[in-house]
Amino acid sequence: MENIKYQSVIAGFGGQGVVFLVKVLAICAGNRNIPFLGTENHGMSQRGGAVSCHIKIGDFTNPVIDKNQADLLIGLEYRETIRNLDFLKKEAQVVTNDDPKMPELPFATAKIDAFTKAKNKEFPIQGLNVYMLGITLATVKNFPFSLEEVKEAITQMNAKVAEQNIAILDQAINDIKGESV
Amino acid sequence: MKQTLMGNDAIAWGLIHANVDMVSGYPGTPSSEILTVVQKIKKQLDLPTYAQWGTNEKVGFEVAYAGAIAGKRTCATMKQVGLNVASDALMSASYIGNLGGMLLVAADDPGFHSSQTEQDSRFFAKYARIPVLDPATPQDAYDFVKLGVEISEEFQIPVMLRPVMRVCHAREIIEMDAETHYKPNKGEFKRDIPRWGAVPRKDRFPQGKEQLQRVETLKEYNWNTFLQPEFKKCSGDKLLIIASGTGYGFAKETLNDLQLEADLVKVVMPYPLPNEEIKQYTQKYEKVLVLEEPMPCIEEQISQPNVYGKNTNTTHQIDEISKTSILLALKKIGMYNGANIYEAPKIPDTFEIPKVAPRPPALCPGCPHRDVYYAITKVFRPKKSIYPSDIGCYTLALAQNAIDTILCMGASVSMASGFSIADPDKTVVATLGDSTFFHSGIPPLINAVYQNHKFILIILDNSTTAMTGRQTTPEREHTEVDIKKVVQGCGVECHEYHYSNDLNQSIDFMKSLQEAYKSATGPVVAVVREFCILDGERAPDFIPHDYAVVDEEKCIACDACTTKYKCPPMEYNDNGKIEIDPFLCAGCGACLDVVCPTDAFIKDESRGQ
Repeated sequence: MENIKYQSVIAGFGGQGVVFLVKVLAICAGNRNIPFLGTENHGMSQRGGAVSCHIKIGDFTNPVIDKNQADLLIGLEYRETIRNLDFLKKEAQVVTNDDPKMPELPFATAKIDAFTKAKNKEFPIQGLNVYMLGITLATVKNFPFSLEEVKEAITQMNAKVAEQNIAILDQAINDIKGESV
Repeated sequence: MKQTLMGNDAIAWGLIHANVDMVSGYPGTPSSEILTVVQKIKKQLDLPTYAQWGTNEKVGFEVAYAGAIAGKRTCATMKQVGLNVASDALMSASYIGNLGGMLLVAADDPGFHSSQTEQDSRFFAKYARIPVLDPATPQDAYDFVKLGVEISEEFQIPVMLRPVMRVCHAREIIEMDAETHYKPNKGEFKRDIPRWGAVPRKDRFPQGKEQLQRVETLKEYNWNTFLQPEFKKCSGDKLLIIASGTGYGFAKETLNDLQLEADLVKVVMPYPLPNEEIKQYTQKYEKVLVLEEPMPCIEEQISQPNVYGKNTNTTHQIDEISKTSILLALKKIGMYNGANIYEAPKIPDTFEIPKVAPRPPALCPGCPHRDVYYAITKVFRPKKSIYPSDIGCYTLALAQNAIDTILCMGASVSMASGFSIADPDKTVVATLGDSTFFHSGIPPLINAVYQNHKFILIILDNSTTAMTGRQTTPEREHTEVDIKKVVQGCGVECHEYHYSNDLNQSIDFMKSLQEAYKSATGPVVAVVREFCILDGERAPDFIPHDYAVVDEEKCIACDACTTKYKCPPMEYNDNGKIEIDPFLCAGCGACLDVVCPTDAFIKDESRGQ
């Protein structure tokens, strides 16, 4: 078994498809036979409330990430990114949906204003989660999964919508080309 | 076979692989997905399983329990507060027992994520003197379902599985049976009146003695099967940690992170515990720390001067367990002296994390409840009214200041009675949903009718149990079960309003109830026929795709929409004007009239069908 330990927080609000990303990464881990333990928000948080899902890849025994432990934070909205900074350790990386009100963060950060791109109809808003995963794949060097592995997982989850999601992934990678954190 | 599953999926598969073929219960976070997934597996594999939502947890439990008396393997699922409702049946069932295995899944919610209490269902198991299994992970949950069903059948007593939210809603790659060889027991009721119909005191007293004997046998079983092998691995030195459920997973990681040497015992069955046998081992240690949540179930059973936990104020008393709380507990008992590694680092020291406004859950954009509550507070002014409400999505109308009290399922109706007696100068306007009405709103309505309690009751009928993920309600499956007829059957007229996105109509309906109230001598009851915006089957028929935008010239930033209507897409922009988030607007068109005093909400002509 691969000796990997990688903890990520994915944050957003209800309806943004945070749990979808958890499922994708869980399948990626499963395909490589790496242990995966994560926790999701259900119930109240479905109603537009703040959603913060934790993903622990490797040999872990509880699904929650404590403060100062996460390697990566993916924020689907800037306020939810800020709300979850406490989980990050010093060397962590942040991938976030940008906003004019977003302060400079003291972490290696990849930012992109995905809402504006969606408003300009560059990609459908329902694909924002996948778009930000694409940004992650393009910018986070030690991310445990490759683009091919993620594409494979997305196809396994729902072959019908896989084509559109894969197109969004590719578009995000193209949009952030040349940048890295 | 390896499968990536959420805890509740794992429980559902465990039930199928344990040949359970009757599952009933009532939805409640974090337990809801269990029965839904059983229904999916049933469909997918074309199994003859009974998997249905009961009208409440007590009904769900009793259906499953009767199945187990008749020799089938059964399961009842609910959340911890649901067990309060089912407890009447459980307390008695624990004397009588069963022939087929019966698993009671009671999902706890430490940290009050979506529950009104933080109660520990393991205490209910102890109270009822039935064994309880406490899984730490989805893998445990799958394994313990099978185990629990076997134990139940062997000892002829219901067994509780107590997963917490961090098990139900955790996701993990688990090892499960590759194939489903489904062989449910044949149900056959065997008449045994002294047992199934045991009357007090003649038949119940011996059952009580059997119950006590059974607890002793279960302690021995617990020791031989689960505990002794664990304790045998221990060295008996300085520190012993005894943990159950998630406490185990958190403890293991914390010890690893802090590089601390300690013995760690995992308790699979936190009740009943063989105290004498455990003491033989715990007394060898300088200190013993018990890690469990949310209440001190194990700690109370094995209490000794060197045992620390919640009752000694060593570990956290409320909220979810965390590695931080374990670290602090280890500090308190002098077993760790290092830094708190779970504090967020301040880097650079000058960087303060900016404060962001909380994002509380809200009624969905396009939800009819919002309009109904808007109309209620418009017609029944807050100063002269009391608004008892209930458990469901509509509780979120708290944000509109349209709800005064929340207690438990069905309490809106009986509390309306109480308030009408205690403060008769005010108009009591109670609200509850269709599923809650069927769950426990009917007995208090009959009570109010026969005692002539004067209040207004509005039943919000969206034909689904929306809050927990849109499970089926009785009238959805079987339209003859009609709220209007039920209300009439309780002896009172039922006013009816079919929701319209024209707010004026909702307001007019509330005015008509106000008129009816004036001459009423008892409760005035109404049903509002709504839909759930997330209901893929019904909602599309009701949404006109009239999306709103703001005419900034007209917006005077008066806060009327952000305080009284509270639709999530409405937010102030940098110009200090309201702006509608086009990604959130559902196109219901309800705000286009009435809501804005200066008519700043206008239809977005560029969008629509």
